[in-house]
Amino acid sequence: MRDGITIGKMLVLAGLLLMQGCAAPQPSPDLLAPTEAQTKLRSFQSRTFDVADRKVAMRGVIAALQDLGFIIERANEPLGLVTAARFAEPDNRSVVGVTVTVRPQADGRTMVRANAIFNNTPIDDPKVYQNFFATLARSLFINKEE
Amino acid sequence: MQPTEFFELTAESPANKAMQSRLFETGNEKELLSASAAVLQDLGFQVDDIVREVGMVRAVKERSAREHGQDISHFFVALFTLGYVGIPVDLQQKITAVLVARPTDYAGMRSEVRVTFYRVVWKGEGHFERNQIPPGEQRMEMIYDPVIYQQFFAKLSKAVFLEAHTL
Repeated sequence: MRDGITIGKMLVLAGLLLMQGCAAPQPSPDLLAPTEAQTKLRSFQSRTFDVADRKVAMRGVIAALQDLGFIIERANEPLGLVTAARFAEPDNRSVVGVTVTVRPQADGRTMVRANAIFNNTPIDDPKVYQNFFATLARSLFINKEE
Repeated sequence: MQPTEFFELTAESPANKAMQSRLFETGNEKELLSASAAVLQDLGFQVDDIVREVGMVRAVKERSAREHGQDISHFFVALFTLGYVGIPVDLQQKITAVLVARPTDYAGMRSEVRVTFYRVVWKGEGHFERNQIPPGEQRMEMIYDPVIYQQFFAKLSKAVFLEAHTL
């Protein structure tokens, strides 16, 4: 009889533990709220250029990425979207991916935003984006000059 | 390679650009794109995607990557080691070409065409010390053989009846 009670208690305990295990962890309410780091990252990743035409800006982005050895994977003109990737040579198993969006601003200029990842890890080093925008500026400037 | 170098021009960048690009004395980008797609088709590629607004063509071809004599050497290695040593073979490769045409002046009388080839090779399907190696392991690389680019531009130049100028 005593054993029965003990087993019963243990079963109840096990059941409670199981139920506890089933409850999914609640996402914190500020899951989508911007953090300070994200705001900073966004400012590294964006730059505005003195180009009015989205097509011209997109072609500049594509040319800059090609100069940097990237392979253009997708381009969508109506959305101003370019996706590209390259191998982190000589390591041919690692891939650097980048998504660039080009959006005309109200003031007649164009905002370019780049997001880069290295093997599925986002790159948050501002230097990386500075390098990209330096090449892009050169590419857009050459286009203008000729 | 350090992450900061991913978006930096290297010493080889200008040479790669020269190898992968040619200038054509035409403003007819549509004609350049359709001729490029036709040349890629002639070379056995399947056109995958065309985005006319930005002048891009993407084409793919899948071929066996077995090299000449590979099977013979594998046979002898297997024979002399009584089948204990096998070398995994390259089985398949997928070659992709991404081509972009763009005007290089405001008057629209000159266009630059830049093409990039790269390939993915599936390694596997073989034996190594009596263990079967399943296909699936893969390796990717850019193609830097200048002859491939020269051949491509020679064909494109013929297709558009225009001379292909180097940069």
